[in-house]
Amino acid sequence: MIDYRRRMRANLAIAVIGLVLFAVFPLVANSGLVFLAGLVAVNIVFGLSWNLLFSGVGLLSFGHAMFFAGGAYAMAVVSLRLPDLPFAGGLLLGAMTGGIIALVFGYIALRRASGVYFAVLTLAFSELVHIVITKTTFLGRNDGLVGIPRPVINLGVASIDLTSALAYYYFIIVAMAVVAFALWSFQNSPAGRLIQAIRQDPVRTAFLGTDVRSWQLTAFVLSGTIAAFCGAVMVPFAQIASPEIAYWTVSTEPILFTLLGGAGHFWGPAVGAILFGAIDYATRALYGLSEITVGMLLLGVVLLMPGGLLGFLLSRRTAARRLTGSGKRVPMANAEKAT
Amino acid sequence: MTYRISRRNLVKGAAAAGLAMPFINLRTAAAQDGPITIGIVTPLSGPVQLIGNFVRQGAEIGVAHINANGGINGRQLALEFRDSKANPNDASVAARELIGSGVNLQLGTISSAVALAMGPLLESEGGVVLTSGAGTEKLNHENYNAHVFRVGDSPVSRNAGLVRHIVQSRPEIRKWGGIIPDHEYGRTTWKIFDAAMRKIVPELTGEEAQIADPILVPYGSGDYRNYITQAMRLDVEGIYTSVYGGDAVTLYQQAKPFGLFDKIDVLLDSANEFLVATAMKDQTPAHWSGFHWYYEANKGNPLSDELYAQYVERTGNKYPMGWAAEAHAGIMAYAGAIAKAGSTETGDVIAALKGLEFDSATGKRRIRAEDNQAVKNAELAFIEPSASAPDGFAVTDYVSLDGEKVIEPATPGQPLDTTIL
Repeated sequence: MIDYRRRMRANLAIAVIGLVLFAVFPLVANSGLVFLAGLVAVNIVFGLSWNLLFSGVGLLSFGHAMFFAGGAYAMAVVSLRLPDLPFAGGLLLGAMTGGIIALVFGYIALRRASGVYFAVLTLAFSELVHIVITKTTFLGRNDGLVGIPRPVINLGVASIDLTSALAYYYFIIVAMAVVAFALWSFQNSPAGRLIQAIRQDPVRTAFLGTDVRSWQLTAFVLSGTIAAFCGAVMVPFAQIASPEIAYWTVSTEPILFTLLGGAGHFWGPAVGAILFGAIDYATRALYGLSEITVGMLLLGVVLLMPGGLLGFLLSRRTAARRLTGSGKRVPMANAEKAT
Repeated sequence: MTYRISRRNLVKGAAAAGLAMPFINLRTAAAQDGPITIGIVTPLSGPVQLIGNFVRQGAEIGVAHINANGGINGRQLALEFRDSKANPNDASVAARELIGSGVNLQLGTISSAVALAMGPLLESEGGVVLTSGAGTEKLNHENYNAHVFRVGDSPVSRNAGLVRHIVQSRPEIRKWGGIIPDHEYGRTTWKIFDAAMRKIVPELTGEEAQIADPILVPYGSGDYRNYITQAMRLDVEGIYTSVYGGDAVTLYQQAKPFGLFDKIDVLLDSANEFLVATAMKDQTPAHWSGFHWYYEANKGNPLSDELYAQYVERTGNKYPMGWAAEAHAGIMAYAGAIAKAGSTETGDVIAALKGLEFDSATGKRRIRAEDNQAVKNAELAFIEPSASAPDGFAVTDYVSLDGEKVIEPATPGQPLDTTIL
């Protein structure tokens, strides 16, 4: 019998510890590094949203950049053209944009395709979004939208000033920790387990009376909404939305995070995103080398650690426990493979 | 009373030290007599790396020149490079990261989109950027920002100068078309070309210019044949193009078999300098190209001669392009401004850059205090295929136009008024 309460406490603890580590980071790092850490925090949830599809419902998306960019551009447009709209409204609109894009494209793609065809369709849709952005004057065409202001959240009695990069960084890490834990809760809810059943055997799950396509679409929309939320949160931090964030290279990022960290573990993409950020920073003065380093590392991980870095570490720990004769279960309850 | 170090006190002390860390800026305290670091954020990988390499060489040669002459107020200059990947996102991350580590003076921006993005960013983070190649007119007009300076020529002085020279030398050519990249830089150049032609042709010839709608081509496309077919259908005598970099080489190579260049009398290229010629050699169509810096036009200027000699020695390439000279000019401008201000603080350097006069590979330049735009001469050269030249092409004519005469009036914060060109 799996102790779900204990599992939840353990994962809540992981989210809180992660939040605390990110929160103390500005005490030891300069503002440039803090900015990168903010982007890593956004990337963690972006990676988790992609893995909700891949390891959750078993759909391979090659077009996650379209959601991220959808959210980012919606937020940018709202901030620049509707400055009176509350910040939360912008975030909501941003997230909804991703949800709507996912609903439209998911509805078409899931009706017509599965497996690799689905992946290619998502890539095509994502390119379509990229092209639409580069051709739309309202969205700044190839040049993007710049000078996006950071908000002051008015709560009536008090206001929270997020105009400084540091204040906004704290907002990002809190928002991302909350979303990450909410995502874990969803994946471990009855609905989350149902979509995992679909990944394992869609035919059998359909036979049990489940509308497989609706659940796949639900997961796709949820994943798109979260990815778009990440984009919407990122934009006031970077203060720029440019078409590059809708480019296919951005779609490959959550895939890289997941493969590096380990697709079979909920926090795998988080480990991958942190590692990816660290490599990017370490190779910042060695132009062109960051891509080579990431490529080599990925090759190494795929060949030597098929379960990703997290999978490798946890399996080592389990093996060590077995050797010492400790019969204790791995306390990180999520270590049980989701695959 | 004895004082004992307890575990609790140690933890308290460590926590206090940790909390105080962000407020103790060791770098600033120690940096007053160390080298002055200038950050270069430019494309050092990907399709525009070619241009980034010129920026890199030019900046390095500029720094070597300053350091060999005693540095600035006794302090040496140093460079810190970051790859912008020609992408505003990566560029903004790199710029912030550099400012975070104390490098507030930056240069190397060559893309218009990146240059426009830098203003608000540097204003909020506290830095300065000198752009060399970014060609959008918005930089010193509606999107003017005190933290961004253009040490290279303004798109107006470049393109309106080009038009004025062509109309004077080939007054019989009235029918013009354009092949323009569909982004900020392309639209800027066309707007200026179109307005300048419509004004200068009647002024000098008494007849109207006939200008066809421009053909807008995508950025980074490998196939321009559809657009070339479209251009073949135009009834024009001259074509203006501002497609640049690897795209221009592809476009020119694909247009050659169609006979596009045989059909027209004049090909006017806004900025490719030797880029197309070194790729196409004796297949190069004869064309006028705008230059940031053409070394032959600046022979006798010691800075230009040194830059050319050093560049050839470092790379073995005999055709350095103007981006090298613009990055070099950026270093000269910083050196002048830091010496004038006696400080490297953002506010002081901005104040010193405004109105600064400095020497460069293209002669004296002056940065206008009103809109942060440098006034420099506009250079253009005629490149044509040559069977006798070792590289298959030769420059057979060049002109250098006085910057004060071809630049538009400063109107920061206002859109460019094309009626005044």
